[in-house]
Amino acid sequence: MTEAVLELRNLTKRIGRRNIVDNLTFDIPAGEVFGFLGPNGAGKTTTIRMIVGLISMTKGEVRIKGVSVKDHFELAMTHVGAIVENPEMYKFLTGYQNLVHFARRHSGVTKQRIDEVVSMLGLQNRIHEKVKRYSLGMRQRLGVAQAILHRPSLLILDEPTNGLDPAGIRELRDYLRKLTREEGISVIVSSHLLSEMELMCDRVAIIQSGKLVDVRSMQDASGAAQSKILLEAGDPAAARQLLSQLFDASQLAVSGPYIEIAADKSAIPNIARVLVAADIEVLGIHSVQKSLEDQFLEITGGEMVV
Amino acid sequence: MSSLSQLIRNENMKIYFRPRTWLMVLFLVGTVALMSGIMKWDESRSETADWRASLTQQNEKMALDLQSSADMDEGSREYLQERITLNDYHLSQNINPDKLTLWSYVNSSASLIILVTLLTVVVAADMIAGEFTWGTIKLLLVGPASRTKIMLGKYISTMVFALLLLIVCFAAALIAGGILAGFDGLNTPDIYMGSDGIIHEGSMFLASIEKYGYNVVMLVMYVTMAFMISSAFRSSSMAIAFSLLCMLVGNTLSGLLSGYSWVKYLIFPNIDLTQYMEGATPLRPEMTLGFSIAMLAIYYVVFQFVAWLLFTKRDVAG
Repeated sequence: MTEAVLELRNLTKRIGRRNIVDNLTFDIPAGEVFGFLGPNGAGKTTTIRMIVGLISMTKGEVRIKGVSVKDHFELAMTHVGAIVENPEMYKFLTGYQNLVHFARRHSGVTKQRIDEVVSMLGLQNRIHEKVKRYSLGMRQRLGVAQAILHRPSLLILDEPTNGLDPAGIRELRDYLRKLTREEGISVIVSSHLLSEMELMCDRVAIIQSGKLVDVRSMQDASGAAQSKILLEAGDPAAARQLLSQLFDASQLAVSGPYIEIAADKSAIPNIARVLVAADIEVLGIHSVQKSLEDQFLEITGGEMVV
Repeated sequence: MSSLSQLIRNENMKIYFRPRTWLMVLFLVGTVALMSGIMKWDESRSETADWRASLTQQNEKMALDLQSSADMDEGSREYLQERITLNDYHLSQNINPDKLTLWSYVNSSASLIILVTLLTVVVAADMIAGEFTWGTIKLLLVGPASRTKIMLGKYISTMVFALLLLIVCFAAALIAGGILAGFDGLNTPDIYMGSDGIIHEGSMFLASIEKYGYNVVMLVMYVTMAFMISSAFRSSSMAIAFSLLCMLVGNTLSGLLSGYSWVKYLIFPNIDLTQYMEGATPLRPEMTLGFSIAMLAIYYVVFQFVAWLLFTKRDVAG
């Protein structure tokens, strides 16, 4: 693993007697799209705002490219581009003036760079119009443009898809992919839209009640442990009896008319053979990929019982 | 990392690309023009045929007053004496003191600095709270500029805007005066009696600047107060309304409370330094120019500190 672009160490935010964010520790390596997932109120936004200094931290540390946000805010922020919720721009300025405004804060953003970003996001035709005449999708693009002007190492997106229609979401996703590929930057995205995260991210952290519940790679997610086989048999009880010889009891479960078997589809031929040999009617058998949504609900649901 | 000069350029851009700003400038120019027009009209209406006769008559009356009322206090006595000497000087130099010159218009425009203050207070109150209202505060703060630097940039821009309005006010009055009274009045001297009791002729330009100067103190105080209010509120309309309220109610309030001695510790009785000029009395007899300046300095530091604290230490959520 390459050097971490973002490091969180025991990050905590306490408001009143409650820890909104509780001892978060994780790293994001260079070039990774990292998702930050959790139900509403889990502390995603608070964490992201602590990373960018909008909210003070009660305890812990955030380092961006090794620079502490608390001690050297200005230096740390030179590496960061951010879209915090819907990118609100100065509506009385043109798109171009808005970009100039944000470019001025960084040293070394040239006119050429602004033009380059403008054409990369396909804004060149309307960049000299006032932002108040932009659609939400165009504002979103301008928001992305603003965030990448100074070639940041880390792009932070807080609920970037809020208020976007499906086409807009897709567009944003494509830009992010393009950015990580072409500019090699790390991205941290927070969202409660699971399907989006599944498509966008390399790794996902799930947080609940301010605590880190799980960090998992999306490659694993499509692996064996995350898929199951659904079996519909004429005599479920007998089928189950039979299958318990093949699988652990923990791998078997009954849901409605189905028997769920936690195994990947390479086990199907074997299951079918055994059932047919025992003369049990097989009405249906298929493998199901567990989506991130299932995993998410499983994980957060489990937590709530405890 | 951001340099302060770039941040100031950003703030300037946000002020001057708003149509509202230019409406304010237009309004100010319009008001100066209107006031100058009324002055001219008033002059033509009340013009007396023989100003020499009327000055002589005035002097005779004042001399009589001085002789007849023995119980007159020292201040009034001095004042009348000075008036007589000044009138005599005008008579001997054949200068009509009531004739409006270009500088009369400029001097009167100093009374419009209250309008400049009002307009700048609106801009100042909007400066920080506006970013919250627009939702741009998050993007503004997430950048390689500390909040202290951002705030300083905003404050400086506000003050530069105030300076611009002052220059516009001064220039508009000068031009209006020139048109209505002739630009040859530019060299009219400022006739006044010095502390040595001798008549002096000074520069009218410097005298006008001095007149502006006193009012600028008030402007700086109100604008700084509005700036603090702006960093306390997260809605610009609230910040503007509250700032204007403070400004307008403050004077009335201090007038009502003038019976109490603690009223002198409020900002409002101290804010108008012209009360220490000749012919004016301060709100409380024990107040001095030095006291007011000290009070204003304390208030200024407190305003800046509170604004800084509110802006840099608070979490930006929601």
